[in-house]
Amino acid sequence: MPSDPRSPRLVPDLASGGEKHRELQKVNERLRELVASLKSEQERLAEARASSLPTPTPPPMAGSEHGAIDLEKKRLVAELALAREAIDHASAERERLRLRLADIEAENRRICDEYVAVEEKSSELAQLFVALDRIHGALTRDEVLGALQEIVINLIGTEELAVLEVQGDRLAPIHTFGVDPEPLRDIALGAGTIGRTAATGVLHLAGRGEPTPEDRDLTACVPLKVGDRVYAVLAIFRLLGHKPGLTEADHAVFELLSSHAGIALHLRAQTARPAAAG
Amino acid sequence: MVDRKKILLVDDSSTVLLMERMILSKSEYDVVTAKDGLEGVEKARAERPDLILMDVVMPRMDGFEACRKLREAEETATIPVIMVTTRGELASVETGYASGCNDYVTKPINGLELLAKVRSCLGQ
Repeated sequence: MPSDPRSPRLVPDLASGGEKHRELQKVNERLRELVASLKSEQERLAEARASSLPTPTPPPMAGSEHGAIDLEKKRLVAELALAREAIDHASAERERLRLRLADIEAENRRICDEYVAVEEKSSELAQLFVALDRIHGALTRDEVLGALQEIVINLIGTEELAVLEVQGDRLAPIHTFGVDPEPLRDIALGAGTIGRTAATGVLHLAGRGEPTPEDRDLTACVPLKVGDRVYAVLAIFRLLGHKPGLTEADHAVFELLSSHAGIALHLRAQTARPAAAG
Repeated sequence: MVDRKKILLVDDSSTVLLMERMILSKSEYDVVTAKDGLEGVEKARAERPDLILMDVVMPRMDGFEACRKLREAEETATIPVIMVTTRGELASVETGYASGCNDYVTKPINGLELLAKVRSCLGQ
């Protein structure tokens, strides 16, 4: 039977109903707060997912410590994975840089070698230019002989040399420096290394072919030519003590002297004769 | 702007002067020359070079004596001197250092060696 709302029992009922209403209002408010906090947590998680970052530890739910620990574990695992990924990336980058450094070092060595080669070539060309300039800049036969001596001393590196002129079938010293000219007087064309160089016109370098006793101190014999004819022979004896041997650059100077010094000597002799005669 | 260094070459051999000039000029150095030790000392006082390449055997005044003269004069005392010697023997080198030279190179001149020593003396 439905109770009468106006019955006296209603008062206490209404009173208890008011309390319940207030309680309900409080519960309702707590629920609203809970909903609001859940919404904000949901948004935070959504943001965390969007930025691929591990979510920070959510506030532990009442009675859900175990769940919080699991969440923390997951976050740490995610962090660990990210850290491993960063380490792998750094290792790959380090390896890439190491290989790049090795490449740069190899390139640097190659450039250094090229620089040395270019400088050596440049020095060799400078020597040839200097030799040509000195020989053709000489105005008299004595100046040519002086230039020849300077070239041999300063570019080749010896203080023992002789220039022997072909006179008929004999050779006669016309200039010596640091050697006794006596043994060099009156050498027959074709006799010994000096005579042979004059006869054949072939450059002689020590260490090539069988040395004869009189060639013991001879380092090189350069035929000074006018065309195909040997005009004179440049004999180079011992090199300076600190010079271990002849180089490719020295050979180039010999080739140049062979084709230019003979002409210079010949021309200066030709021009000197009319002047002397006049 | 590049600070061009001035180098004084002292040698009685035109061949050596030309060779040194060719090696140094292409490397951005200004070059002045003298034909013997006496002229070298005078040019050093007048030109105040950053470095001197000094031959040893020269007429009028040899390289050792010229180097001593340079060291005695206040205005040239600190100019670095590289001796250019035909003889690389120890005695010759020791005499060079005793006269006040900073370094030495031997003839025949090696372009790379000369440039290296010049740069070293100039602190380059």
